Amino acid sequence: MLWLEDVHVRRGGTHALQGIDVEVRRGEIVALIGANGAGKTTTLSTISGLLRPQRGRIHFEIEGRRIDIGRIRAERIVAAGISHCPEGRQIFGNLSVQENLQIGAYLRHDREAVGNDLRSIHALFPILRERANLPGNRLSGGEQMMLAIGRALMSRPKLLLLDEPSLGLAPRLVEQIFDILQRIRGDGMTVLLVEQNAAMALDLADRAYVLETGAIKLSGTGKALAQNADVRRAYLGVA
Amino acid sequence: MTASYILEQIVNGIILGSMYALIAIGFSLIYGIVRLINFAHGDIVTIGSFAMLASAVALKIPFPLAILVVLVTGAATGMMIERIAFRPMRGAPQVTGFIASLAVAIVMENIGIMTLTAQPRSFIVPAYLSKFIAIGPLSVRAIDLAIVVLAVLLMAALALFVRFTRTGMAMRATAENYNVARLMGINIDRMILLAFAIGSALAAAAGLMWGSKYSQISPLMGLIPGLKAFVAAVIGGVGSISGAMLGGYVLGLAEVLLVGLLPPEYSGYRNVFVFAVLIIILLVMPNGLLGHSTEERA
Repeated sequence: MLWLEDVHVRRGGTHALQGIDVEVRRGEIVALIGANGAGKTTTLSTISGLLRPQRGRIHFEIEGRRIDIGRIRAERIVAAGISHCPEGRQIFGNLSVQENLQIGAYLRHDREAVGNDLRSIHALFPILRERANLPGNRLSGGEQMMLAIGRALMSRPKLLLLDEPSLGLAPRLVEQIFDILQRIRGDGMTVLLVEQNAAMALDLADRAYVLETGAIKLSGTGKALAQNADVRRAYLGVA
Repeated sequence: MTASYILEQIVNGIILGSMYALIAIGFSLIYGIVRLINFAHGDIVTIGSFAMLASAVALKIPFPLAILVVLVTGAATGMMIERIAFRPMRGAPQVTGFIASLAVAIVMENIGIMTLTAQPRSFIVPAYLSKFIAIGPLSVRAIDLAIVVLAVLLMAALALFVRFTRTGMAMRATAENYNVARLMGINIDRMILLAFAIGSALAAAAGLMWGSKYSQISPLMGLIPGLKAFVAAVIGGVGSISGAMLGGYVLGLAEVLLVGLLPPEYSGYRNVFVFAVLIIILLVMPNGLLGHSTEERA
């Protein structure tokens, strides 16, 4: 449902993406792994429209129509069905937990369905209902991550871009988040996941891409990459 | 010094504070969303008073209806300033934005002087607004009462809008983080424009109040109220809307009471008091009364 072809992005003088090709198929979890500065976050920000590619094409298929999203504004890309859960969670600290979820549905006018989705987010993350009236900045890191994912789901996306969900979280919480991702996938969501925790990402993902200094170095199924000697040495900490 | 004299001074402080608060809200609203002080904000006060003169006196539009004309004129001017001076500077260093708004202020003031002359014009409110109304032991001019009531109504409307509407929520989100707001589907250009429109409409309302209260207006009349309202916004904690309201009233009361209670020979030092209040409050509370620790947007 998503194709990146020969995408180049320059960012503050550096050639952050040097012609990458990525494909995400409906219902898949695709992981993007790589070291810090390899261009993982840049890739997600380019798909969601926060950054513009200098060259290349980005196509998104929605309801049988293929649209070119490489040149359209971030606001319109959300409307097309891509939701980006940004790195570092970035919830709105001065908005209440409830408002953070509501603003995720900013573009939606189907009030009833929004109410239903809010209930299913609460079912997925019960803590968000308990904390509904607290300002976002009063939540713990793990709760903020849940809120960020919940907020991203409130736009009812077809494709979820998820940047570093494990960042700064205790291992137990990371496992919980990954369990949730499994459940979201079970509901038919397609996910493009950026993760430094390569072991967990490869375990979860159907397919994965290894990004190195702005270029795709390797790609394959999660299982195959987890067995690959180079990947094991560089990203899984196995000699 | 009798109790009724002190009470009278308090009432005067509230009237002045209402106007400061309305102007200060605009500074805070705009700062909150673009992290820039709009130096042309005081000139919107002037625009508001002249819009009132043009509509109520020249075109003889009934006074209450003319208030609407003033609000719309203020909003339109604010939006124009955003498009001309702020939007092209977005992403540029902060200083550039300050200079751009200063340039707008100078241009507006000079166009005002060239076309309207610096000569103050008298601005007479209808007779029913100059009557005195007795409230308990006090006797207040109807216009003063109208100023306070209108100011409180406008502020309440703004507070409800920002707190409870979908657009108000989107404005708060935009003020926190442009990029994430865009990821929610919010058109941030529109939110910024809206902040300018609302802030400027309130400043224009303050302009019509100022003109009505002091019965004369001139192209430079907005400078001092604008400057003092900026002080009020800083006292309240710039960026905070409730802070701006509080700061406006604190400043209005402090100014009137200090002038009214100190011996008459000190009354010439009115503006000294204003800035002394600012300095003292900031020494004790560097972020203002209701401000958060200031952090730059990443």
